[in-house]
Amino acid sequence: MRQLILDIRPDAPPQFDNFLPGQNAEAVDALIRFAGGQAAEPLIYLWGETGSGKSHLLRACTAAVPGGVYRPGAPLPESLPPLLAVDDVDALGPEAQVGLFDLINQAREGAGRIVAAGSLPPARLALRRDLTTRLGWGLVFGLRPLTDQERAAALRSRAAARGMHLPDEVAAYLLNHCRRDLPGLLATLDALDLFSLSRKRAVTLPLLREFLQQSG
Amino acid sequence: MADFWTHCLDHFQGILTDQQLNTWIRPLAVEVESDKVVVKAPNRFVAQWVKDRYINQIDQLARSYFEQSYPIELIISETKAAAQANGRPAAAAEAAPAGPATPARAGGQVVLDESRLNPLFNFDNFVRGKANELARAAALQVADNPGAGYNPLFVYGGVGLGKTHLIQAIGNQVLANNRRSIVRYIHAERYFSDMVRAIRTKSFEDFKRKYDSLDLLLIDDIQFFAGKDRTQEEFFYTFNSLIESGKQVIITSDTFPKDLEGIEERLKSRFSWGLTVMLEPPELEMRVAILLNKAKQEGESLDEASAFFIAKQIRSNVRELEGALKRVMAYARFHQQPISVELAKEALKDLLAVQNRQISIENIQKTVADFYKIKVADMYAKKRTRNLARPRQMAMYLAKELTNMSLPEIGQAFGGRDHTTVIHACRKIEELKGSDLTLRRDYNLLVQVLTG
Repeated sequence: MRQLILDIRPDAPPQFDNFLPGQNAEAVDALIRFAGGQAAEPLIYLWGETGSGKSHLLRACTAAVPGGVYRPGAPLPESLPPLLAVDDVDALGPEAQVGLFDLINQAREGAGRIVAAGSLPPARLALRRDLTTRLGWGLVFGLRPLTDQERAAALRSRAAARGMHLPDEVAAYLLNHCRRDLPGLLATLDALDLFSLSRKRAVTLPLLREFLQQSG
Repeated sequence: MADFWTHCLDHFQGILTDQQLNTWIRPLAVEVESDKVVVKAPNRFVAQWVKDRYINQIDQLARSYFEQSYPIELIISETKAAAQANGRPAAAAEAAPAGPATPARAGGQVVLDESRLNPLFNFDNFVRGKANELARAAALQVADNPGAGYNPLFVYGGVGLGKTHLIQAIGNQVLANNRRSIVRYIHAERYFSDMVRAIRTKSFEDFKRKYDSLDLLLIDDIQFFAGKDRTQEEFFYTFNSLIESGKQVIITSDTFPKDLEGIEERLKSRFSWGLTVMLEPPELEMRVAILLNKAKQEGESLDEASAFFIAKQIRSNVRELEGALKRVMAYARFHQQPISVELAKEALKDLLAVQNRQISIENIQKTVADFYKIKVADMYAKKRTRNLARPRQMAMYLAKELTNMSLPEIGQAFGGRDHTTVIHACRKIEELKGSDLTLRRDYNLLVQVLTG
């Protein structure tokens, strides 16, 4: 009978010090100063493809500020908290766009700070122009996804944090056979760890193959 | 009200020294209004300190005390006692700082008083050019003689051309000329939500009185009233009352009054009673001047060549122009290098990339096929002649470099090939990039085309 696993190890909450900056050191530095209240600019906008770290950084910002609020799109709050993080602005409907517009105006009036994220640079977002120009008015960073080497390093550090031994060939196989966006890779690694625990077998290439076959 | 503040003082007494309490907390005056808690600081130093250290605690105390969430508004004003003593509303008495306006900054941000004017928006830093000559001249006249001439002043123009800056400059000038003037700047959307809240909390009469008693009302982006009939009706009465009593009204919009959609005819016709002026997109020289001016304000040195480079890239509006400059300044600071054309190019590379970096495999196949003048179908074909195999390998390599697809997925997209074929292709191109100059140039060109 297969061992049942009680998953009592919630993943570490997104913070600045568990984010792998890769080529995004400048953006991370700016965000740390922004969250710490050391930046004059009240608005930062991040853009980049899925898995480039936008949501992690947004959550790290709100975690660093008491009263910080993270919203994955609508509904948005009516009045601005000390720090508001708005994720996936691409998906905001007409009403929420006016809401964000209004919140940005409040931020410009000194009521709080906003960090927002989307898949495209401001000028190319399919949103109302008076909103995209306001997003482009702040400090804008394009996030670059990690290189394969950096992804392998991230896998090793996650494995170490889970107390899991990750042989190099397993890491290489994961990078060659699975989707290579970081959240996807890390989720696969976590699932592999649970699989190895439930099977009471060490993490090896054959185990990984078996796991991938079973998880389809 | 008094009880809430006593509650706060009790809390702070428990955690602060007497000296801290006397310096930062006791000088505050707190008023609980129907929809918010207003914390008044006697000066900008106290305001900054409180905003940095205590405002979150006051927020939490309010939440637990009232068992509901109130927005906390921190303003710089007379203390409650002083305001009552001279019988004037705190806002009007303290609204205008003497001499050149200096914004209070807390946590690096501007803290606004009840006029809601940002002191950074003034005529001195409003860059002149052909695009705004008439609007600026009209604004200066209105600032010196509010209510006497062009009433209302209606300013219209596209997004990010400086409408808000211009009308707030009027407000700041009016206050500088007469610090007893009661001025209020409000965005139309905020006016609407304030009104809704006032109706909900049964404080509508206060709301009305507040607006009817103004000397100068600045209302931004009036197009946001579209389709909001009740708001338009109330605004109609306030507008008439202010104009009739010789008070100044200034309105901005994204279009000419007659072209406003969803706004009542009677309002549109009234908007045209005074003077209507337009702001146009700034020409190149003006964009350069805006950048140089902005950099100077921030205490950064920006040479003309770099300013020209940035101004040539961003043409459409001032907001994105300023955003680009912020990005360049942040980049220079982070890398500890002076601003130059080269640095600006590097800093704005991503922003200017027209092409989305989320590249599809179909796009890669088509671009590579076009580049090597083969058919897209040859990408999936089984044929293995060299003139087809090499482009196919290049496309596979680019797919690995530029997308997040797994190697089996990439193989699948190339006519159902095995992932080992993809690995082989990637190794081959990697190796040739080191030895074959032509191939390396092809690769660089293709990356450039695909990533814009």
